[in-house]
Amino acid sequence: MQATLTIKLARVAIVIATFALWELLSRTGLANPRLLPSASDTLATLGDLLQRSSVRTDLLVTATEVLTAFALAVPMGALIGFLIAENRYFADVAKPLLFFAFSIPKSIFLPMFILVFGVGFAQKVGFGFFSTIFIVIMSTTTAVESVKAEHLTVARSYGATRAQTAFRVYLPSMLPVLLEALRISMIFNLTGVILAEMYASRDGIGHQIATWGENFQMKQLLAGVVMVAAIAMTFNELIRWVETRCSHWRT
Amino acid sequence: MQPLANVTPLKPPPRAGAIEVRNVGQVFRTRSQDVVALEDVSLDIKPGRFVVLVGPSGCGKSTLLMMMAGLRAQTSGTITINGAPIAQPDPNRVGVVFQEASLFPWLTAEDNVEFPLALRGVAKAERRAKAQDALKLVGLEGFGKRHPHELSGGMKQRVSIARGLVQDPPVLLMDEPFAALDEQTRMTMGDELLRIWAATGKTVVFVTHSLTEAVYLADEVIVMSPRPGRIVDQLQVNLPRPRTYEMLSGDAFGALRDRIWRHIRKSA
Repeated sequence: MQATLTIKLARVAIVIATFALWELLSRTGLANPRLLPSASDTLATLGDLLQRSSVRTDLLVTATEVLTAFALAVPMGALIGFLIAENRYFADVAKPLLFFAFSIPKSIFLPMFILVFGVGFAQKVGFGFFSTIFIVIMSTTTAVESVKAEHLTVARSYGATRAQTAFRVYLPSMLPVLLEALRISMIFNLTGVILAEMYASRDGIGHQIATWGENFQMKQLLAGVVMVAAIAMTFNELIRWVETRCSHWRT
Repeated sequence: MQPLANVTPLKPPPRAGAIEVRNVGQVFRTRSQDVVALEDVSLDIKPGRFVVLVGPSGCGKSTLLMMMAGLRAQTSGTITINGAPIAQPDPNRVGVVFQEASLFPWLTAEDNVEFPLALRGVAKAERRAKAQDALKLVGLEGFGKRHPHELSGGMKQRVSIARGLVQDPPVLLMDEPFAALDEQTRMTMGDELLRIWAATGKTVVFVTHSLTEAVYLADEVIVMSPRPGRIVDQLQVNLPRPRTYEMLSGDAFGALRDRIWRHIRKSA
């Protein structure tokens, strides 16, 4: 989507206004400053926190867990999704079941992950994986279905091999949907891992945020929120940027 | 993948572009009954002819075309092109032009035209040169860098025709290629196709629903009827070429169209 300058300026204005309102509410005492520290204080705290080696370690731990879960869930989910979509029988059998599974809130399984894996790396990666894989499977089946039968017939009529059909027709047809899927999967994945960290963990940024909350350290808590939000938005925008690069693929 | 030597045959084989359809039948088995889609269809198409298949929906004309393209297997009978049976797609003998939306939207016009050559590993420079020639032939010189969504419906079909011609096959099969175009564009594209056909000397088999289009384009119109799909008439169209818009209102044109219409009314 091509935004004009005025639209962009309006967006920036809203962000600035939000921070200004936040600052104002806290400074004037309209909101209890103990519950809502001012924006400037929060950002200053954020700067301090990022200097601390313990916080950096936490961020690194969370990043490792998130990326591991993502690296496992995306290819595996894509493969399962592809196999399901390519086989009429599997698709008919499995699709409603997947929809059922997808509708269940994943968080209710978290205690089971702790019982099975104990508290640690495996539990958080496992839960991140579990939170992500269903959306990957479902998106991949959608992506496969977005491949047009006409395009496959064209490839066949010009004698394309299976590998050529996969790389020259399936992949480019599916790419826009897959990128969108990647973006949404990451949201689910990040939510899963951080939830697992907040629920039971010894390290990770989710654990830190939970601890700050329990100890009523509002500045740190809000700084943590801003930090995680910024990381999530950066990743999201990165994939959106790639998406716009191949926007003409969509018809 | 085909060996590279097959890309440009040094000499065209004898009977290049001849199509023989012998006693072809097609039966679809469903749970309750067998549906006869085609019954004992035989046809002889001489090289360089422009043959149009018409008939109501379900008469099997597109099915027959897909069999000639090697994209579908018949239950019985044989189809030969250049004197050899066609069991699977053979882009050296047959180029296929489909209905709208068969271009790959992620490729530019010239990359779409090069697609058949890219599949066989033809070198980039040769590919580009052939694609430029094909685009020039269909009147799209200078449009190679555009993506399909930047082209009109008529231009997209020109690109499809260029793609069908890029390997210089003796036969061009066209499955309702202008069905999605508006009336004026359709007429223009008909004239363009006749010009390209005259310039290349290909055998063309063209499927359409439009009787006017059929008579306007064809040397010969094959009329088919459904349940079971079979040939009910073969008309020689002896109108002079080049065909002109004025012929549409002539008596000879009207008589041919009426004759086809009577067959179709009977079977519909």
